[in-house]
Amino acid sequence: MKPFTPLTRKEDSQPVRYLVVDDSVFARKNLAKMINSFGGEVAGEAGDGCTAITEYARTKPDIVLMDITMPQMEGIEAVERIVRQHPEARIVMVSSVGYQDNILAALQKGARHFVQKPVKPDVLYEIIRYVLTDEDAHAHAQTTAGEVRS
Amino acid sequence: MNFFPDERAAELRELFFESAQELLQDLNEAGLALESHPEDAEIIRRVRRVVHTLKGDSAACGFRELSTLAHEMEDALRADVIHGIENSVVEVIFTAADTFQAMLAAYRLNVAPPAGEELREHIRRIARSPQQARPAPPPAREPARKFDWSEAQRERIAESLSRNEPVYNISLEIDPAMGMHAAAFQLVQKVLRNVGAVLAVYPVDAAAAEYASHIEAAVATDHSKEALTAKCKIPSVVSSVALERISEAQEPSQDLLEVLLQAEARASGIEPAAAPANRRDAPPPPRAIDESVDHEKAAARLTADRTLRVDADRIDTVLNLIGELIIGKSMLHRTIIEFDKRHAKDPLRTRFADALALQSRVLEELQRSVMKIRMVPVEQLFRRFPRLVRDLSKSCDREVALSLAGENTDLDKGILDALAEPLAHLVRNAVGHGIETPDERQAAGKPRSGTVQLNAYHQGNQMVIEVSDDGRGIDRQKLVQRAVERGAISASEAAALTDAEAARLIFQPGLSTADRVTEVSGRGVGMDVVATALERLKGTVEIESAPAAGTKFRLMVPLTLASIQALLFRIGGRLYAAPIANVLEITRVTNADIHHVDNHSVIRLRDQLLTLVYLEQPNSAETLAAKKVFVVVIGLGDRKFGLVVDALMGEEELVIKTLDDRLSTSDIVTGASILGDGTVVLILNISALAARLGRMPALGAIA
Repeated sequence: MKPFTPLTRKEDSQPVRYLVVDDSVFARKNLAKMINSFGGEVAGEAGDGCTAITEYARTKPDIVLMDITMPQMEGIEAVERIVRQHPEARIVMVSSVGYQDNILAALQKGARHFVQKPVKPDVLYEIIRYVLTDEDAHAHAQTTAGEVRS
Repeated sequence: MNFFPDERAAELRELFFESAQELLQDLNEAGLALESHPEDAEIIRRVRRVVHTLKGDSAACGFRELSTLAHEMEDALRADVIHGIENSVVEVIFTAADTFQAMLAAYRLNVAPPAGEELREHIRRIARSPQQARPAPPPAREPARKFDWSEAQRERIAESLSRNEPVYNISLEIDPAMGMHAAAFQLVQKVLRNVGAVLAVYPVDAAAAEYASHIEAAVATDHSKEALTAKCKIPSVVSSVALERISEAQEPSQDLLEVLLQAEARASGIEPAAAPANRRDAPPPPRAIDESVDHEKAAARLTADRTLRVDADRIDTVLNLIGELIIGKSMLHRTIIEFDKRHAKDPLRTRFADALALQSRVLEELQRSVMKIRMVPVEQLFRRFPRLVRDLSKSCDREVALSLAGENTDLDKGILDALAEPLAHLVRNAVGHGIETPDERQAAGKPRSGTVQLNAYHQGNQMVIEVSDDGRGIDRQKLVQRAVERGAISASEAAALTDAEAARLIFQPGLSTADRVTEVSGRGVGMDVVATALERLKGTVEIESAPAAGTKFRLMVPLTLASIQALLFRIGGRLYAAPIANVLEITRVTNADIHHVDNHSVIRLRDQLLTLVYLEQPNSAETLAAKKVFVVVIGLGDRKFGLVVDALMGEEELVIKTLDDRLSTSDIVTGASILGDGTVVLILNISALAARLGRMPALGAIA
């Protein structure tokens, strides 16, 4: 495996901080290992949507990796609530192929990107790099609810 | 999963197996819950979520067969399957739990996993007419578009151009690895709206995009062409981008021709609009959040998030090191005592004493904390029994309710694991021949449904787990008769047995009171296994049984295997220790007080006769009538005997080192410990001693 060039925050060149949300401990650990290999750090973890919201407010991460299906509160609702309070939130949905409608909904609610399970490190790396370059955070939040104009 | 170094991959694998185990447990519990609440759609959702997680985790670990099967199962568990065929769903869930379990076991051993055809069959049955439910295969080809905008779209583009806004025609190829085209389209559209005004887009919506392999759009934006390209090159979604600025007169751009030809090479033919929206494999709509969120559960989840998973071996290493430290501490202690003797006036003495006191306090705390890490609630052991009891009562035609108590009692993980088999055996026995058939019970004036109860609690330094049933009890007569037939005891011995002793016969190898051998129990193997397992754990098992009222097994094990509080004594030239929990009292007698009856040496202790055990044959000089000896009275359940020792050495906490089989040729010794001065202490196996008691007049010297 060739090592990844560490991803850093544009504003202060510090390691990128992540919030990892998944009800599977295994999946979280798996993502955490990838995050470490990208030179990032896990600022917080959550096993359900409710915890994700409080953890977001507490840790203010640069990136949220959010599972789609979780007990208590589904990823979609968590996305909606986080984005409503923090329009700058960069949330990447993590999901299996069978959950396309949930991804569509999550994207509508303000998620920035999505990645298919099983997550491949090089794919996730590129996605994170892409999402990090996204400066139009507020524009995003505004267009999120916009109608299709075509 | 090969992108991590081996060690990490192995670690992840371990973690996977562990969490998969929990998922399967969840699955079993959900199955049981569904059986009692067949209408509860929430349970089906829970099952689906569990299977979904298992699918994802196993896929990440590269366990393809498991992940595929879990996927099929997840697909079959659409919300609509619940109606009408609840029972078969329950069966599917249990079959799935068993199949997944078997697959996990195979993966663990690195052998090919079972195909799980039975489960597939079940899945097929619940997924009604799967061919219709499944989406038709997507059209493989599609025509290449050449920015063939509609009249309205062209007008909108012209309008923007007339305002001197830069407008681009953008063509995007969807990454062939991307399985979700609708989501890809949605994301592209989102990005495009973010960079400017989307004047036209093709396909028309996400649903139509499902079978499209490329997306076209006309966007009015101030971004440079380079910035726009970078924006549109969305990793994992878009594999290539082509864009061209539209000038007033020009429609479709010549630059794009190449891209389009490429696309055409791959695609031609069917109009994608012909793909009806309902062909999509529609996942269920987002679920409403249950208003009555179980707060307790939420709290439990929160704590679970603060849980760290550590390999048990690492804790054992720490515990071992602490053991060494304790030995080091007692070395220091002895040295300081020696120092005290030599330099009674030295002011350093008190400082040594202080330092030593601090050290022992911290060490004790350290040991306690580390041992606490190894403690887990008994619930981990108990939770597997509801499923076991359900299956057993079905296969034996019994009605059995299982009640659990004391699940939160903590116990060393190693002991817990070692107790799993014996406990399962006792539960099997309780259902298999403890509880009567419903008709028999009714005839006996009992409720048709029997009860098996598991209860756990702490008692002193011991953990007690009780398995009781309200069944027919152990048939003493039949048991004794069997024992005599088998030659385990003689007829005269049989007559002299107390009830408790008779009940203990059940632990003799090869005895069973069941009249016929069933799949569940009655083969006579097993109960002796229970006794052996308990012995290995330095624990004991007791039985209480009353005819027609039921049987209760009480397993008692030490809280931890790492150390014991022990009484040290000297016999012959050797130092021995007995667990303090087994020492009832210490008495001092002269040889004249010792009587010999039937090859047994006994003493009268208050109003009872106490059989004595000699570990070494007393030589003639020591049998002088006036010589005083110590007798350590040892109790094991309801049995008592006296151990004759030469000298008492005090009480000490011993760190147990298990003995290699090569080192111990006797079952009377279970382990050893090292004292501070380097002396080796042998720890006596009390139950083995007690077992020998009936058979031998005196024990020969042990090796």
